[in-house]
Amino acid sequence: MYEPTLRYEKIDFLGEGQFATVYKAKDVKSDKIVAVKKIKIGSRLEAQDGINRTALREIKLLQELQHINLIGLLDVFGQKSNVSLVFDFMDTDLEIIVKDSNIVLTPANVKAYTIMTLKGLEYLHQNWILHRDLKPNNLLINREGILKIGDFGLAKAFGSPTRINTHQVVTRWYRSPELLFGARQYGTGVDMWAVGCILAELLLRVPFLPGESDLDQLSRIFQVFGTPNEETWPGMKNLTDYVQFKQFPAQQLRHIFSAAADDLLQLLDRLLALYPPARCDCTQALQMPYFSNKPAPTVGAKLPMPTNIFKMESEKPSLKRKLLDNIDGGSLAKRLQF
Amino acid sequence: MMPARIGGMHIANENPLGLSWHDSAWIPLLTPSNIMDYFSEKSNPFFDRTCNNEVVKMQRLSMDQLQNMTGLEYILLHVQDPILYVIRKQQRHSPQHVIPLADYYIIAGIVYQAPDLASVLNSRLLSAVHHLQCSFEETMMYSKYHPSKGYWWDFKANKAGSSPFNSAQSAPKEVSTGPKEEPSTLFQRQRVDMLLAELVRQFPLPVIPTTSSQTNGVTVKTENMTDKEKPIESNNVNNITIKQEPIDPVNTEMTNGSIQGHIEIKTEIKQENMKPPPEKKPRNM
Repeated sequence: MYEPTLRYEKIDFLGEGQFATVYKAKDVKSDKIVAVKKIKIGSRLEAQDGINRTALREIKLLQELQHINLIGLLDVFGQKSNVSLVFDFMDTDLEIIVKDSNIVLTPANVKAYTIMTLKGLEYLHQNWILHRDLKPNNLLINREGILKIGDFGLAKAFGSPTRINTHQVVTRWYRSPELLFGARQYGTGVDMWAVGCILAELLLRVPFLPGESDLDQLSRIFQVFGTPNEETWPGMKNLTDYVQFKQFPAQQLRHIFSAAADDLLQLLDRLLALYPPARCDCTQALQMPYFSNKPAPTVGAKLPMPTNIFKMESEKPSLKRKLLDNIDGGSLAKRLQF
Repeated sequence: MMPARIGGMHIANENPLGLSWHDSAWIPLLTPSNIMDYFSEKSNPFFDRTCNNEVVKMQRLSMDQLQNMTGLEYILLHVQDPILYVIRKQQRHSPQHVIPLADYYIIAGIVYQAPDLASVLNSRLLSAVHHLQCSFEETMMYSKYHPSKGYWWDFKANKAGSSPFNSAQSAPKEVSTGPKEEPSTLFQRQRVDMLLAELVRQFPLPVIPTTSSQTNGVTVKTENMTDKEKPIESNNVNNITIKQEPIDPVNTEMTNGSIQGHIEIKTEIKQENMKPPPEKKPRNM
């Protein structure tokens, strides 16, 4: 009989969160390094409802998804009352890279990351799934320079016209204006907006719109893109949480992203359109001139890696806060609230 | 927003050597430490904002990173405080290997692109050739020709005033007004008259007399002769006579004889050449 606990050899403790503990392990069968996420059953109260909701989502969706730019769920096994998920092992994530001031992100690097994100997301959207929690921290990168979208704890099927979704999704800084206004029916636009914010962050190396509250978030958005009106956003006033904002004039993106070429500004402009239907989808975005113009995206092997990633490995257990953050909700309010 | 920028780039692409740029708000404040910021102002047509400097600046990183990047960058090459700064645009291939693309100098706050050697040579050659050509044109005006004398230089007179033709034709009057003029000999005059008569016979005058005024005929004829005899001067004479003649002299011509009219016109040409104030003309007549 197949004994999964023997198949995966624990190498390292990577981190612990509210719902899970993550280990770096070696798959004895394939000799691959993997990440094993052991879901905690937790207190008796939680155990009554069965397995944790986010873990269930990940298992449900990822089992059916297969794409180079999506994190691969390799295996799921149970041991006693625990459930463990086995994922591709990823060395780092985009947040670490963005915050590493030793790294310069060249226009070619930015293009490479953006293409990989959009390709993964395109596949997801084609399969009628919204990620709903895109942020640099969830874009995982391995040492081959391949970016994979991770953390499907908030992902959900979309497209059913009668279905009501919660608007309390997406980490605030990457949350689109319609979500902030309390929209209950939304589409791929929420993910596209997040991609726009991530792209902006790659350029600026600081969060583009770091709102301190939901209202502050909207205020920051409008200070950049101008306050929308009924003309630029028909139906905005009917949204549940709509509030009137002060009239801000729109700023020019090229003043904010001073070194960005015109084709990149064009892409940003489409990704960060206030009116959701005006936002482009992944396929449209990938067709834009930015991706066919020079410079060509950096090949995976040449993408920058945090300087300390290999050093840390030899010295002490690498602090993989990535998976951890996702498990206990990270530092920012973003979790589903029921 | 785009058109303005593209427009600016367009001008720069056409001929950056003919451009200068400055921002007067900055000029009193320029120091070696902020000169690169001044140069990277968005309105500066010499600054390519997709360069590595701007990438690093936008990402809020240290400018030391430029060493490790490849691509287009600007460096402060030379400082002669407080008046002159030289900025170099270069393509970096590795920390050691850079290829200069262009230099820009900022004198008293005004930015210019330093020309490359080819442009300097081109420009110098062009201006040398231009001046040579001008000097030849000038020289041509002093070279005179006369059938009996051949070619000679005439530096004494002003350009238009005294062509050999003029002095020959109106010798009787010239003697008094311009004693410096060399009078033509009787032989010359007879000879020229004969030649003219011969020419008139060979090429009869075009039929002008449809215009009733006799004067016009005479005027045109004079001009024709002028044209044939001295092509260089003809322009001058033509311009002036044609423009000014018709209104005033008509009346006087009508009363006076045609011969007198002929002389009148001659005098007038002479006068025009010497550039008298226009109001003097009626008095002469």
